Amino acid sequence: MSEITITIDGKEVKTQEGELILNAARANDIFIPAICYLTRCSPTLACRICLVEADGKQVYACNAKSKDGMQITTSTETIEAEKRAIMEVYDVNHPLQCGVCDQSGECELQNYTLEIGVDSQSYAIKDVDRSIQNWGLLNYDPSLCIMCERCTTVCKDMIGDGALSTRARGSDAIDASFKESMPKDAYSMWNKLNKSLIQPNDGEKLDCTDCGECSAVCPVGAIVSADFQYTSNAWELTKVPATCSHCSAGCQIQYEVKHGSIDAPEDKIYRVQNEWNYVSLCGAGRYGYNFENKVDAKDEAAFAKAVEAFEKADTIRFDSQITNEEALILQKLKETKGYKLINEEARKFANFMKEYAAVSGNAIYKTPLKAVNDANFVISVGSAIKTDNPNARFAINNAMIMNKGAAMYFHPVADPVVDTMGKNIMSINHAPMLEEASMYLILDLFAKKDALPSEVAEYIASFHSTKTITVTETIKEKVVEIVKEMKVNEETGEEEEIEVEKSKMVPKKVEKEVEVDDNRLLEIVNAPKKFEESMEKLLKKKDTFAMIVGPDFYSHPNAKNLARLVALVEKYTDFSVTMIPEKGNSLGVAMICDLDELAGSYSVGYNVAADFVLSAAGKGDLDMPAMNQQEGTLTSIQLRVNPTNAALPYAGYELNDIANALGLEAALTVDYTEQLGAIDGFRAEKFDDLPNHFSNSGEEVRGYELEATTATTGDESVAPFDEAAAMSDAMVYLANPTLQFNDFTNMSHQLSEEVGLYVSSDYAKANELSEGDKVSVTSTKGSLELNVKIDSKIGGNIPFVPSFDSNLNSEALFNDYRFSSATIKKV
Amino acid sequence: METAYFIETIIKIVVILLVFSALAGFGTYFERKILAFMQRRLGPMNVGPFGVLQIAADGIKLFTKEDIVPTNAVGPIFKIAPVITAATAFMAAAAIPFLPQFTIFGYTVHPIVADVNIGILYILGVMAVGFYGPLLGSLASSNKFALLSAARAAAVFISYEVITGLALLGPLMMVGSFSLIDFNNYQAGGMGDWIIWSQPVAFVLFWIAAFAETGRTPFHLVANDHEIIDGFGTEYSGMRWGLFFIGEYANMFFISFVIVLLFLGGFGDGSVFGALMFLLKMSFFFFFFLWTRAAWPDIRPDQLMWLCWKVLMPLAVLNVVVTGFVMMF
Amino acid sequence: MMSLEQFENRNVSENGYYKVDIESYPETGWEKAKQVFSRTIRGELFVGLWVVMREMLKFDIHTVQYPKEKLPVGPRYRAVHEMQRLWESGTERCIGCGLCEKICISDCIRMDTRIDENSRKEVSEYTINLGRCIFCGYCAEVCPELAIVHGGRYENTSEQRAHFTDYEDMLTPFDMAVKGQVPEYPGFGAVTPHEDERVKSTPLAY
Ligand code: SF4
Ligand code: SF4
Ligand code: SF4
Ligand code: SF4
Ligand code: SF4
Ligand code: FES
Repeated sequence: MSEITITIDGKEVKTQEGELILNAARANDIFIPAICYLTRCSPTLACRICLVEADGKQVYACNAKSKDGMQITTSTETIEAEKRAIMEVYDVNHPLQCGVCDQSGECELQNYTLEIGVDSQSYAIKDVDRSIQNWGLLNYDPSLCIMCERCTTVCKDMIGDGALSTRARGSDAIDASFKESMPKDAYSMWNKLNKSLIQPNDGEKLDCTDCGECSAVCPVGAIVSADFQYTSNAWELTKVPATCSHCSAGCQIQYEVKHGSIDAPEDKIYRVQNEWNYVSLCGAGRYGYNFENKVDAKDEAAFAKAVEAFEKADTIRFDSQITNEEALILQKLKETKGYKLINEEARKFANFMKEYAAVSGNAIYKTPLKAVNDANFVISVGSAIKTDNPNARFAINNAMIMNKGAAMYFHPVADPVVDTMGKNIMSINHAPMLEEASMYLILDLFAKKDALPSEVAEYIASFHSTKTITVTETIKEKVVEIVKEMKVNEETGEEEEIEVEKSKMVPKKVEKEVEVDDNRLLEIVNAPKKFEESMEKLLKKKDTFAMIVGPDFYSHPNAKNLARLVALVEKYTDFSVTMIPEKGNSLGVAMICDLDELAGSYSVGYNVAADFVLSAAGKGDLDMPAMNQQEGTLTSIQLRVNPTNAALPYAGYELNDIANALGLEAALTVDYTEQLGAIDGFRAEKFDDLPNHFSNSGEEVRGYELEATTATTGDESVAPFDEAAAMSDAMVYLANPTLQFNDFTNMSHQLSEEVGLYVSSDYAKANELSEGDKVSVTSTKGSLELNVKIDSKIGGNIPFVPSFDSNLNSEALFNDYRFSSATIKKV
Repeated sequence: METAYFIETIIKIVVILLVFSALAGFGTYFERKILAFMQRRLGPMNVGPFGVLQIAADGIKLFTKEDIVPTNAVGPIFKIAPVITAATAFMAAAAIPFLPQFTIFGYTVHPIVADVNIGILYILGVMAVGFYGPLLGSLASSNKFALLSAARAAAVFISYEVITGLALLGPLMMVGSFSLIDFNNYQAGGMGDWIIWSQPVAFVLFWIAAFAETGRTPFHLVANDHEIIDGFGTEYSGMRWGLFFIGEYANMFFISFVIVLLFLGGFGDGSVFGALMFLLKMSFFFFFFLWTRAAWPDIRPDQLMWLCWKVLMPLAVLNVVVTGFVMMF
Repeated sequence: MMSLEQFENRNVSENGYYKVDIESYPETGWEKAKQVFSRTIRGELFVGLWVVMREMLKFDIHTVQYPKEKLPVGPRYRAVHEMQRLWESGTERCIGCGLCEKICISDCIRMDTRIDENSRKEVSEYTINLGRCIFCGYCAEVCPELAIVHGGRYENTSEQRAHFTDYEDMLTPFDMAVKGQVPEYPGFGAVTPHEDERVKSTPLAY
């Protein structure tokens, strides 16, 4: 792509060759109306209101690509007539219910109707029954739907569930006279609109991962949150820009805040909104917002006890749901008071990156997740992708659709959500403990063999052998036949029989012996049949490669070897490497804190169990502010330091108060933001200087990007893997169901659920379990009693033990690794 | 005789105190009603029938209100001042014959507390002392409006004292006695004997001066609400303020009695008819106080002084001289 | 109509102002005495006395015995709000659009809404702080449903400065609405009589 210049309405605009006219205009603050187009998704051409004239021809700005020197006019007489007619059509039979509609005030139909100045109606058609439907977390009001298909588009192109489709509207045909009298684009748009409505795939209830993105993109009030509906007008809500802290994607969100009610006037969060053109949320971020820790006043006695506990303690335990600033406070406390900092998850991640750095030379992985959106071949390893980082899944799906890409998903647990992402993704469900094998396979498939360290190349080669197989081939054979024909003899004029030779092609099956390369790695990782063939298809025309590495690797018994293999992949293949930090701010914590392996005798815990507990969930000895009551920064998978803001007030003590009591000095927690600059990769920026928004061109103007840091490299040796270590007996997997990440998501009223043992329906059937059955799960380490929950979003036969509820000490079943052999018995 | 006289006097004092205190109350009621009617209003209507019990309500209010003595006020003087006003008003009543003498159960009652032979002098003197009430109260209040009121009170009362005195000289020369009984008896012969006919100038002068003495509109400048709030009463509250009020209304009644006794034949021959006429005439003068309040504006202090010294005083002197000449020849 | 220029011209003589005819003040004693006598003899004082006496005798009293008697208020008077119902059906007119809450210049309207069993928006709580309301009428003006209107109840003394009135207190009683006892609201915010002429009709396909 190269930079070109086009002219829009007389203004010279620089853009990239092939950029959509609409996006070029938007990036340069030129307004072109557009309803159905979603940035990052494919154009649907449903609304046709983005009509412009390019080099004298009418084109759709959301679909037409710019060429050098293009002359574009956004308004001509015919275009204006079309726009006016289109808006009139949208207003046909649209209920006049802006007065109660949730979208009122931010409704695109309202806006464009006013912008285009529709003050009378020329068209009419008989309305059909369009009753309201409840889809679970969402309500759909078809009478408000303008069939822009943004919901179906985002669900397919971005999220990957493809859970919405169109259905017949059952309407009369449009009065024939309109065909003549109407502008033509408006007529065809109406024709299409008049045929369909939206429905969940099965017609009744939505069966999806409940991201709610369809409600976000809906330009009108047709798809709305059932919980929010009719509780507030958009304009009454104060938007607080923040960062979602549930997972490492660090999505930009806005908390929308207003006083609770007349009886309970305290502020509360009504909903979470996002800049849907540029960021897509998962359901946890969208619905998991009211986890605030309500504290009325400073509890001085508890605070005194906390300070006392800190004086007495030699260890601080914490998890990674904290801000960078808090992590820095803890690190500083370690430096001044000599505490041991215990956070196993972050420590393993840090160690993994350290080992990776020793081979790759990058102190942390160097490619942000957005590289995946731009790639056309993506591999995910070691991650239950839809729950480890929903945005990583969106990115893979988006890459497959928008870049005509393909993907491979290596994970022991089959995932129906991944499978619905289309046939361009190949799932490889290898046995747990064979992650190294998958890495060797990737090296085998993609590495430049001659560049690879020779031992590695040899090791890989040792899996190859040639074998002779019999293939049945269909070949076409030429068969010559003698046919008798009657022909009129020209000379005689009589008919006579003559013999003619005729040849024709006939298919024929032949068996043939061929020598093929046999790759035993494929068998080891349980690759699907006809692997080579499918690979060939997947790899056709692919040139940008990205790999996502997940948390299964960090806690793997052979994590070090895996880290080195990951580094080798990055070094000797075209793949870029992105790692998924397991928790909200694992990356920040891993970079900022110097974590210890062994704990001391008396510990203070921050959001985790210990002798004295500080808790943002209100479960400990001293209350702490929850993430929606705090200012600070979070480090995301995008290698970005994102600011987040307090949406709700907090009256109690925070970590900074304790730090001050222990001898550190800072008026506010965010005073530490600037001090982060002392850490490699971070910058010395004041919190108040950090922006948090998207620009018109979709550029992410949020916080700052981490700077690349290098590490000293050592040797590139990797160890072979132990095929025999593969786990094959009954086991459980430590992972969460969709929408759940931690206590905070579970505290939110729309998401709150009872924990259980999440099993696929196949597993339930095979083991004669049904929803709600009580089972005991026993591993070598311990045992737990759980209720069975059948989850349609997991597959295979490995049940999930969730970790989102800290009351359930799920780690008790696991040695470090996220898989553990376990027996499950009904009780 | 001595004890009977003693008891009779005590009874008379008590009756006068009670009757005139009550009358002062009714006076306010009449004033409100009459002013209201003259201004096309209804006046008090809601407490009791036609609002009569408004007086009781006011009384209760005045008695129960907090008695405030301002911080910088001179306490003792501030407290005693209203008492001076009320007390002197009632003391003046001692020399006024309110009715002709009558006989009850064979006992002759003189409806006068003390028929002193210098009655008029006594009344004028005691009423003049009454001016110490507003004066001292104002000065003790430590309030700028009260201070203005004090200055005005001093000027007005002293000036009009002169007019009252000089105006009365004429009639006194004719009657030759200071006793109001004697005045009454002098005119007892009927309408024709009324001093008003022989002393019209004195009558008018005395009447005008009466407005100044009682501080009523148009000479209300001592406590002119629209300029100086309530003047001497500004800082007063509750019953202390109420005492000023009672004093003012009692004075209005007494001066009305005095005018009638001096110039309009008093109770004449002492018959019941005479007594009724006496009350009627008195009532007219009381009514007139209210009437002028509805009809006339207040005049300025300088105009009041001008009127006093440059118009009324020369006229009064002239009247004395003319009377003297007439009597000589 | 006065133009702005006229206002800005401070030259008194050109503006049609005229001076009050004031007699010259008497200078000498004699003149003053003359003035006194002339004024006295002209009998103005007695005219005054006569006028008030005449009024007393006529006894033409103008007092309105509030609160027993009340003067009627004009239909467009803007006193305490009323919440209307639809005729016959008795349905509450307020749809909970929140425009009144938004426009209220003194921020004294607050409302809670929710979704009801029939999936309709329902107003669950609605208060106006009459202690802060300035009776500007914006809320009645903006209401798209003619639901909130100004009534004639101007008595709203209260022991507290923040004096709230609830939705129920303002709401027209159900039976009155059903029986059609509420007159069509003619007052502030009501549609103007010629409204029909201004509305463009929409084609219908039935
Ligand atoms: S979708 Fe928009 S235009 Fe339609 S009722 Fe809602 S706010 Fe109004
Ligand atoms: S539901 Fe909303 S987003 Fe979907 S087609 Fe209708 S209007 Fe468009
Ligand atoms: S949980 Fe993760 S993916 Fe979901 S909204 Fe939050 S940051 Fe984004
Ligand atoms: S009258 Fe004005 S101030 Fe009062 S509630 Fe209505 S909009 Fe608010
Ligand atoms: S403007 Fe009218 S309809 Fe809307 S909330 Fe207020 S009273 Fe109800
Ligand atoms: S935005 Fe281009 S067709 Fe809808």
